[in-house]
Amino acid sequence: MRSTQPSVWVGRAVVLASLLLALLAGGPAGYHPRPFIIVVVGVAALASAFRPDHLIVSLTMAFIVVWWARDLHSQMPAVVLVVAAALVVAHVAATLLAYGPPTLPVDPRLAMLWSARGSLVWLAALLVWGVARTYSGHGTPTLFWLGGLAAALVGSVAAGFAMPVRGEGVE
Amino acid sequence: MTGKPSRWHATSSLERSLIVGGVGVALALAAGRPALVVLVAPLLVLGALGLLHRPTSEPRLFATLGHWQLHEGQGTRVRLEAYDLDDVEHVTQVISPRPFVAVRPPAGALGHLLADGGQIASLEISPRRWGRRVVGAEKVALTTSWAGYRWGPIALVGREISVLPTVSHLRSGGEAPQPIGLIGAHRSRRDGNGTEFSSIRPFHAGDRLRRINWRVSLRQGTLHVESTRAEEDTAVLLIVDALADYGQSGGVGSTESSLDVSVRAAASLAEQYLSGGDRVSVRVLSPGGEYAGFGTGTRHLRRILVLLSHIRPGMPREVEIDQIDFRATAGAVVVVLSPMLSEPLATATVRLVRRGLPVIVVDPLPADSTPSVYADSDEHLSELAWRMRLLDRSHLLAQLSASGCPVVPWNGPRTLEEVLRRLARRGQLPQVGGS
Repeated sequence: MRSTQPSVWVGRAVVLASLLLALLAGGPAGYHPRPFIIVVVGVAALASAFRPDHLIVSLTMAFIVVWWARDLHSQMPAVVLVVAAALVVAHVAATLLAYGPPTLPVDPRLAMLWSARGSLVWLAALLVWGVARTYSGHGTPTLFWLGGLAAALVGSVAAGFAMPVRGEGVE
Repeated sequence: MTGKPSRWHATSSLERSLIVGGVGVALALAAGRPALVVLVAPLLVLGALGLLHRPTSEPRLFATLGHWQLHEGQGTRVRLEAYDLDDVEHVTQVISPRPFVAVRPPAGALGHLLADGGQIASLEISPRRWGRRVVGAEKVALTTSWAGYRWGPIALVGREISVLPTVSHLRSGGEAPQPIGLIGAHRSRRDGNGTEFSSIRPFHAGDRLRRINWRVSLRQGTLHVESTRAEEDTAVLLIVDALADYGQSGGVGSTESSLDVSVRAAASLAEQYLSGGDRVSVRVLSPGGEYAGFGTGTRHLRRILVLLSHIRPGMPREVEIDQIDFRATAGAVVVVLSPMLSEPLATATVRLVRRGLPVIVVDPLPADSTPSVYADSDEHLSELAWRMRLLDRSHLLAQLSASGCPVVPWNGPRTLEEVLRRLARRGQLPQVGGS
C-alpha cells in the first residue's frame, strides 16, 4: 500500500498557508483583499498544494503579485518583505514537492539545503527594499527599480558562488 | 536494463521563477510600482541561478540486479549505475509496484542528494511468492543544482527472474516401502550388505568370514552367518496438481493458496529425498506440462525448483489427465499433491495404486478456501456449488483411502514419515494373490 507521505502533507500545508499569507499579510497595514479574492486565491492555493509542478502555482503567485500591484501604488511598506518571504516559502515548498511523487518523502537534507537557499535569496528582497527606502525622495522611481534589478543580479551571482551544490556541508 | 534516451528540460520551479519574476518586473515598469521588484527579486535570483546551472552533460543510466534467481523471501538490490552525472544534484527513483514483490523503502520511492563520489542509493526488493516475477522496473529523474533542469523521468525496463519456492532443510526419517535401487539409505526387503540385522542362516559360498556367528555355528555344528538388509535408494515421483489454484495467497509467511502448499511441499520433498541420495521426478499437471525425469544431486534439485517456479495454473492442453503416462518406475513412491477436485486425476491415482505402487495423496486445500467466481455471479449459488464440490471431493478422498491410498494434509516436511512407515510395514506383510 503506497500512500502520501506525512512530510508531503506538511509541504502541502506550507504551500497553502504561505500563499494565503502572501495575500493576507497586508491586513494589519490596511491592505485588505475582497472576500472574493480570498476565495479565489484559497482555491488556487489548495490546487497548488496538490499539483506543485503545475502551472496553477505560477498563476496563483502571479495573481497575488498583480493584486499587490493594484493596491500598493508607489508605497514601499515593510510588509512587502513578509509577502516576499511568503512567496519564497511557497515557491521552495512547491519545488521540494515537485522532486517526486507524493509517495516520496521529502528528504530532510534537501529540505535543509533549500531552506538555506530560500533564506539567502530572500536577502535580495531585503536589499532592494533597503535601497529603495534609503534613496526614497532622492531619485527617480526608474532609478530605484534599476538599482533593485542590479542588486538582484549581483545577489544571485554572489549566492551562486556562496551556496553549496550537491548538498556539500549540509547535514 | 536501460531506459529510453532522455534530455534535459526546464523544471516547473525554474518556469515559475521566471514567470512570476517577469510578471512582477513588467508590472513594476508599466505601472510604476517599485515595491513589486521587492516581491519578485528572490524569485528572479532563483531563476537566474537555475539558468546559471544549465547542464551540458548527457547522463546514462543502467539498472542492475544483484541476483537473477532468488528463493521466496530473499532479497536483492536494484543498483543504479550512472555515468556523466557532473551536473546532477538530486536523484529520484520510483519503483513500479508489482504483485508479491516487497520493496524497501516501502513507499517504493527514493530521493537523495548525490554524494560527492556520485554514489546512488539502491532500492531493495524481495519477492514474496514463487513464480516468475518482473523486478527492477523503475523511473528515474535527475535534477540539477537550484532545481533548474530535470532529466527524465525515464522508465528503466525490469527483468524477469525466477523466484524459487522455499525448501525446508530437514532430513526425513521415513523409509521407502519398496526401495529398488543401488546404494541409498532405505532398508530393502532383500538381504545385502547393510547394517540392519535380518536373520541367521547357514553359510553360503561367498559370505564374508566376519559375518560368521560362531556361537550359533558351534551349537548347530555347521557354519552360520548373520545376514543384513540391503540399503538402497528409492525413486520418488511427485505429481503436482496445478489445474487450479484455490484460496488466497499472501506470499511467504502469510496465507497460502492450494498451489502455494503444493509447490512448497513438492520443493521440500524433492530436497529431502535428493539430499538422501534418492532419485526424484516431478510431473506437473498444468498447461505447461512441466516435467523433470528421475535424477539425483543438487543440480537436479535446482532444475526441479526452477521447474516449480514456472508453474502457471490451468487445464493441460492437448492431453487428457487420465491418459497421462506418469512414467512411474517399479518401486517408486508416488506422492500426489492435489486437492482432488478433479475426477480424472483421482482415476489416474487409483490406476497407479492398482499397479502396486505406494501412492500417497497430500491434500493442500486450505480449510477456508473458496473458488474464484465471476463478479456478476450469484453469491448464494456459487457457495452452494462449492459445497457440492467439497462433498464430491470428500467422497473421492474416501474412495481413494479405501483403495489403499493414504490421504494426508500437508503439515510440514515430516508429513509423510508416519504414512511411509505404515506403507513399509504393510509391504512386508505376506501378500495373497494379486488385485
